[in-house]
Amino acid sequence: MNAIIFSAGFGVIMMFCSFLISNKSSYRHIAVVGLLLLLVVNVMETNGFDIFHINSYGMLSYTRFGLFFNTIAIGSTLIYVLLTGKDIERLGNYVAEYFTLIFFVLCGVCILSSYNNLLMLFLGIEILSIPLYILTGSDKRNLKSNEASLKYFLMGAFSTGLMLMGIALMYGGTGTFSLDVVRSQTGLYKGVSFLEIIGLLFLMVSMAFKVSAAPFHFWTPDVYDGAPGVFTSFMATVAKVAAFVAFLKLCYVRMTATSTAIDWQLLFAIIIITTLLFGNITAVFQQSVKRMLAYSSIAQAGFMLFALFSLNDFGSKGLLMYSAAYCLATIGLFAVLVKMKDVTFEGYNGLAKTQPVLAATNAIFLLSLAGIPLTAGFLAKYYMLASVIATGSYTWLVVIAVLFAAVSVYYYFRVVQAMYFKTGDPQTEPITGSFKIGLIALAAIIIIIGVLPQTLFNWLYF
Amino acid sequence: MTATEILFWFLSALALFSALMVVISKNPVHSVLWLIVVFFSISGHYILLNAQFIAIVNLIVYAGAIMVLFLFVIMLMNLNANTEPQRNSLVRLAGVVAGGLLLTVMISALRSANEITNSKATMSEGDIGLIQNLGKILFTQYVVPFELSSVLFLSAMVGAVVIGKKE
Repeated sequence: MNAIIFSAGFGVIMMFCSFLISNKSSYRHIAVVGLLLLLVVNVMETNGFDIFHINSYGMLSYTRFGLFFNTIAIGSTLIYVLLTGKDIERLGNYVAEYFTLIFFVLCGVCILSSYNNLLMLFLGIEILSIPLYILTGSDKRNLKSNEASLKYFLMGAFSTGLMLMGIALMYGGTGTFSLDVVRSQTGLYKGVSFLEIIGLLFLMVSMAFKVSAAPFHFWTPDVYDGAPGVFTSFMATVAKVAAFVAFLKLCYVRMTATSTAIDWQLLFAIIIITTLLFGNITAVFQQSVKRMLAYSSIAQAGFMLFALFSLNDFGSKGLLMYSAAYCLATIGLFAVLVKMKDVTFEGYNGLAKTQPVLAATNAIFLLSLAGIPLTAGFLAKYYMLASVIATGSYTWLVVIAVLFAAVSVYYYFRVVQAMYFKTGDPQTEPITGSFKIGLIALAAIIIIIGVLPQTLFNWLYF
Repeated sequence: MTATEILFWFLSALALFSALMVVISKNPVHSVLWLIVVFFSISGHYILLNAQFIAIVNLIVYAGAIMVLFLFVIMLMNLNANTEPQRNSLVRLAGVVAGGLLLTVMISALRSANEITNSKATMSEGDIGLIQNLGKILFTQYVVPFELSSVLFLSAMVGAVVIGKKE
């Protein structure tokens, strides 16, 4: 409860800052302080020190897994604000409001990591999405941003409608909103109500939309491309992995309970293959790095879906690992991307000559996303594939996943090739020394997690 | 048949018919008007189930506020049958097949859901839908989601200011 209440509270504080403080650059510092405090209270709660004692009537349940995920999400946001905070200021007049919305998204993230009731799932998803619709359209004078925002809003509203329909049907089938329902009905088909299964299918469709899994991914490239780069970074990382954690919990509780009636693994196998196919193949043909990263985020979602497919310890550990690796690398890539004046592949030509630090750290982030050993991304992919092997069925999925990972190396290395082996004169915004230090620290974290994964996992158990 | 049953069947038929008309009307304004009829008949169902509060809220919020908004949008955008985009027949066919499949699945699920066929709705009894009980349960059992939804509305309000205010 600490993280939920504090994140909402900091959002309100940022709102007040917008008219109490006129200095634009101080908002960023206040936000950093807020995020640090948020991190502290969340770690306190992980260690059993809860400031608020609120009886939620079983609607929220705090697990070590969820609280640790909160830490990853808040930590990633902190790094994000530290690296790209200055670029948010360049965007418009409502800097404090943007930070407000980011804090509200974090509130949604914390609800999604601890929900135990479909009502809370709905609230969490909505608190997560509505600020994102606004952040997408925050570049008001840019037509592409407007279009992306409206498109995202309409499609998101539609998927929310499907989710509500699913929740209503599940309520009809089980008589409760609670996730861990006691099955008292007898005489039904293997003890599972058909209404519940239909409801779960609807929920699955809407959650697949939120995590941009194929065939519900069509909004992703347009929205990620149209939104201002600073907010695409946040949307594609923290918000997306939070939806994954919520999806994982839903699958763990409800889909295992209904697995006698429907083969969820087959459904997920189909979704995984189509996601990997669309994400990777389309990314190959992109000319803009920003759009390539949008498609790559679909491809990475395909890998994260393995956790939902296998539903075992490897999978959930791997999802944490994946969210850390994916968030850090993508935030780093976007931090460099928003500094570039030209975001096509040509714009990166010869970056290694003019900005060697940016090029080197960018290369490490790309290697991590591609899953090259000694980076966090490699271990994340390893855990995902190991989870499929552990289930003992559909092992051919592993072969397909490895093939697509090889395809992904092609388009990630196109950026590396442009930076190191091509000549050009890349135009960038002014780069400060602290920005470079931040990038180096981020790259170091990725390598440390990749070499010593126990630094991350120890937090789960002690 | 008692009066309640007659009322129930009449409202159900009305709801289904007007919902169909929403979809097949060519003129968007007619669609909106039919949608208002749907909301009224559903509110009638709520009253039959002795849920007066939700019936009134449904009328005020949906048939009142949201429908007015819909009409405004349609009139501002000047939509009519001529400006409707032409879809090619392949897309239409795909839509019909997908929608038909979903309909089949839902109907078959409803037919085999035993818990529905063996149970009856309680007409005009039960007091869970009365405003007193609703208020009590909202501020005891459901107080956490009730308070958290304020964050949702707050973010929507912040968004309205950010998007709508002049730079």
